[in-house]
Amino acid sequence: MALLEIKNLTLFIDAGDETVKALEKVNLTLNEGEIRALVGESGSGKTLIVRAILGAIPDNWSIKADRITYQGKSLLDMSGEQRRQIMRREIAVVFQEPASALDPSVKIKEQIKESIPDEFITKAWPWKQNKQREELTVNLLHRVGIKNHKRYMECYPHEIPTDISQKIMIAMALASEPKILIADDSTRGMESATKTQILRLLLKFNETKKLAILFVSHDLLAITSMAHSMTVLYCGQTVESGKVKSLLKRPLHPYTKALLDSAPSFQVSLPPKSKLVTLEGTIPTLQHLPTGCRLGPRCPNARKECVMVPVPRNIQDHLYSCHFPLHLPKNTKHKVYKEVKL
Amino acid sequence: MSAILDVKNIEYTYIQKGKLFAKDQTFHLGPVSFSMQAGETIAIVGNNGSGKSLLAKALAGALNIEKGEILIANKEDGRERHNTIRMILQHSADAFNPALSIGSILSQTLRLNTDLNENQRREKIEETLVNVGLLREHFHFYRHMLSDGQQQRVALARALILDPEIIVADEPFAALDPSVRSQTVNLILKLQDELGLGFVFISHNIGIVRHISDRVLVMDKGVIIEQGKTHDVFTHPRTILTQKLVQAHTNLVEKHFVQKYA
Repeated sequence: MALLEIKNLTLFIDAGDETVKALEKVNLTLNEGEIRALVGESGSGKTLIVRAILGAIPDNWSIKADRITYQGKSLLDMSGEQRRQIMRREIAVVFQEPASALDPSVKIKEQIKESIPDEFITKAWPWKQNKQREELTVNLLHRVGIKNHKRYMECYPHEIPTDISQKIMIAMALASEPKILIADDSTRGMESATKTQILRLLLKFNETKKLAILFVSHDLLAITSMAHSMTVLYCGQTVESGKVKSLLKRPLHPYTKALLDSAPSFQVSLPPKSKLVTLEGTIPTLQHLPTGCRLGPRCPNARKECVMVPVPRNIQDHLYSCHFPLHLPKNTKHKVYKEVKL
Repeated sequence: MSAILDVKNIEYTYIQKGKLFAKDQTFHLGPVSFSMQAGETIAIVGNNGSGKSLLAKALAGALNIEKGEILIANKEDGRERHNTIRMILQHSADAFNPALSIGSILSQTLRLNTDLNENQRREKIEETLVNVGLLREHFHFYRHMLSDGQQQRVALARALILDPEIIVADEPFAALDPSVRSQTVNLILKLQDELGLGFVFISHNIGIVRHISDRVLVMDKGVIIEQGKTHDVFTHPRTILTQKLVQAHTNLVEKHFVQKYA
């Protein structure tokens, strides 16, 4: 059974005189022990999905979904208290920009100590409790690969480098031994050595603790090196989703292909200084979303059918929504593909 | 071909004042020296805090260097430097005044550095905007009306408007999304081809460094520990730091191909 399942999530943002569909019928499943990457450019709604899962939603947003379930229990029907319990213990989030997610006025040590749930403290006497908390904190720091914990425990967040604060954020997220870790753009702006370290760390927890990870990023290099499956998001619509392997081998959606082609590291035969393949234009703003398939105006093979929203189709767990997918065996089109019932 | 930029043993010390009883923290840049040919692209790579941004600032003249000299096209370092070397800052979006239109931002640069009159300035601005792939109408736009990619283009326009010979860019691609990043890379390649610009840039993205740069400088603790042709540095890295950087990158790329073809 899927650990986390989102079906047809639509998120409306009320912007004064008009309502914008910031997410449109997004589907996402996360199985136990799986690393799923959520890929998309900025403004594609990655962070909105994370916030919808968390339930951290401002008053002018509203959610409509067929279901958002955690282990079969619907998150939408829960009371605030129940939901908080799940978020506290089972699902942990590492937010974007660690430097701003940490409290600037509290020492690192105190922040980590605070994130350890009370249930983990077994000692009866307060002074012993405090000592145990401290030991657990040191333990956590060691687990995320910070060896000289003394150097950082007494620091304030502005005194430590970004990659260390990223690790501290991960330590705090792992403090409650969650089942799901949501990492929101954890490798942004890191140089490759540090990036590899963070990825290795996440991978280690995935392998040893069966931690399921939702890895939100647009760093394809990081994603393809560790994720099992990925979901590609464009402008609030899921365009393609499936195993990383099959998406790399044969991307069916033009956007996925453009995204993969845009990284020069993946092109072996690319002569230096040659032009890179890219889509024209930029991602549209929420106020000016095109109707139908939202890639329409930028898509190289858009035709008049594209003003309709394409129906998601599924071949062997490879889900795509495009009227004119790439790499399609022509004669078998109607036999092999079955429409997903909505 | 002679060098258009010659950096000779520049040094600079950055001092951060400590708290009441704590010691001052100092960071020493240099001695750094390298030279650059016309139309060449140089990439500066290195870990965080290795002095890359300081070097870029020193090149652009935003720092007063303590020792050494920066020679431009064999001229002595002087006022004309501001017209020959232009800089693109790390967060181009934050570097614009939100209250001014793009036209007035660019016009300010011209007013301070050239003797053009109003009409000539207007003409020059429109020409530059078209050059970087924007429209003439963007003259009247404000910062918030533009997307990330367009803002990056305006930043490039501001650098290009004085017809520089060298552009220094601090992480020009870091904040951009993949498709916009490729567009910007293409634009820079095109402009370099047309105008014969020298381009010095700092980047974490080894893939892009490998793709567009002719030479690489690897920095650590304020000094250049390795420099050479991009291909040589990446195929035969000599220092441990470079090996680590390259190894980390190639590992990720290899995993990609294993996934793809396995």
